[in-house]
Amino acid sequence: METVLSIKGLTKNFGRLCAVNKLNLEVKRGQVFGMLGPNGSGKTTTLGMLMGVTNPTSGEFSWFGETPTHHLRKKIGAVLEHPIFYPYLSGQKNLELNALVKQCDARNIPNVLDLVELTDRRNDKYKTYSLGMKQRLAIASALLNDPTVLILDEPTNGLDPMGIAEIRELIKKIAANGKTIILASHLLDEVQKVCTHFAVLKRGNLIHTGPVNEVGQGEERVEVNAEVENLNEVLRGFSGTATVQRENGFYEVTLRENFHGKDLNRFLFDQGITASHLVTRKKSLEKHFLEILADGK
Amino acid sequence: MLHLLKIDLKKLTSYRTFWVVCGLYFVTLAFTTASGMEFLKWLANKSSEFGASVNINRIPLYHFPDVWQNLTFISGFFKLVLAIMVVISVTNEYTYRTVRQNIIDGLSRWEFLQSKILTNVLLSFMSVAMVFIIGFVTGLIYSPSTSIQYAIQDLEFFPAYLLEVFAFLSYALMIGFLVQRSGLTIIILMLSHMIEAIIKVNLKGWAIELKPIFPMESISNLVPMPFARYAFQEIQDYVSLNSVAIALVWVFLFNYLSYLKLKRSDI
Ligand SMILES: Nc1ncnc2c1ncn2[C@@H]1O[C@H](COP(=O)(O)OP(=O)(O)OP(=O)(O)O)[C@@H](O)[C@H]1O
Ligand SMILES: [Mg+2]
Repeated sequence: METVLSIKGLTKNFGRLCAVNKLNLEVKRGQVFGMLGPNGSGKTTTLGMLMGVTNPTSGEFSWFGETPTHHLRKKIGAVLEHPIFYPYLSGQKNLELNALVKQCDARNIPNVLDLVELTDRRNDKYKTYSLGMKQRLAIASALLNDPTVLILDEPTNGLDPMGIAEIRELIKKIAANGKTIILASHLLDEVQKVCTHFAVLKRGNLIHTGPVNEVGQGEERVEVNAEVENLNEVLRGFSGTATVQRENGFYEVTLRENFHGKDLNRFLFDQGITASHLVTRKKSLEKHFLEILADGK
Repeated sequence: MLHLLKIDLKKLTSYRTFWVVCGLYFVTLAFTTASGMEFLKWLANKSSEFGASVNINRIPLYHFPDVWQNLTFISGFFKLVLAIMVVISVTNEYTYRTVRQNIIDGLSRWEFLQSKILTNVLLSFMSVAMVFIIGFVTGLIYSPSTSIQYAIQDLEFFPAYLLEVFAFLSYALMIGFLVQRSGLTIIILMLSHMIEAIIKVNLKGWAIELKPIFPMESISNLVPMPFARYAFQEIQDYVSLNSVAIALVWVFLFNYLSYLKLKRSDI
């Protein structure tokens, strides 16, 4: 698969603070790449270097196999951290200005405004927009030149639940067109829903990278409930049980390798117990993320 | 190039403050330069109250070719207003952080600076055009002889005035990039002449020789003060190539420092 972004040994120091430490990363065409990490782990700094606003201390990166230039940036739509626009210009005028900067066709403006549902408010000054509307305008501006790569740094920050769901659908739609997306986010649920790959940063160090769908693999977890007094003991008596935890009013059983939900079900049935609730859960990215962070000391 | 100018003008032309400050600049510039005779009349009136009579027609303020140096010299004082606009235009980019988004969107840092420099060029040319038109019209009105031969004399003050305005705007741009806060930058801009004067007064020995190469000094030396000639004193009624050379070096340095600052910093 074609490499869109290749980062080698990228480092950024702010005085004595090392914000990004010898980062190596590859993003291939068509990936939806999630960048995860706690606050201050270096996500925005990394993206800032990729977009030419933060000067790297050392290391290099290439877009599409070429050394980065400002011409290449025009093919990338990016929103870093906060939406940034001229407050005294209307949404429409701001986008016209963006089109001038990106040297792309201004005829695309109505489309992107429509996409983010700002058409009604396009002639109002940017400073009168709500936070969510500002976010939407930022996304519209990132999509303006029909970019091959989209970089979104917490794009759903401040959006209502409907907005979040819309952005999720939008990202999926854009990804389905074979575009590459790099997404920094704290909403792990969202990342799990839309991303194909992810990387975890911690204090500037890359501590994990891999496909999202591998997250669910490994041991299985099963949520169980039944109207039995000593369910906890019964579950512990099952030979496939690794641990049992009480969570949200259910018992959450983590199974040993090669044991599955149906084995537990059969076991309970053999014990004469009928489960009132039995769900096999994939491990959530959130759990996985917290484990990675705990391990990556 | 034109494309970069278009970008900066797009930012400014929807900005109310831009129209207010530029309007103020061009109106006061036009008003002051065109009202010299009215001023002289007022002066003559005042002095006749004290018994002295001044024949204002003996003062050829607007006669070709005197008018060129007179007007370009007076106009030089107003460049500060234009410079304040330039400062606001740069520091806004930092307060709104739009310089960051411009670069993310695909301008190079040099292109961003170019767009600002080009606006400075445009504003300088507009000032020149304005002063030329006023000088030409008033010259036609007040000159006893409107023969072309007098009218085209001393036009070298226009390139000098152009350089004067552009150099000062370059200076304002640089301070804007270095300081990034509008209030502080404007204060520095207004105090520049004074600070330089204080330094010059305190120069000793060989350092006194350095006076003409000070930035503010060299910029104001481009169009020398003409009015002493009406008190029968010798004046420098030409543009000295030395001043032009020094000012050109400053123009280069100002813009180069802006470039270095923009290039080196994280935005
Ligand atoms: N301009 C700067 N000057 C000094 N330190 C900075 C600067 N920008 C970022 N940092 C530091 O670099 C580190 C990484 O910051 P960064 O913004 O990249 O984190 P992040 O992963 O994006 O965090 P968040 O999830 O909160 O957005 C932080 O410790 C931050 O304090
Ligand atoms: Mg961040």
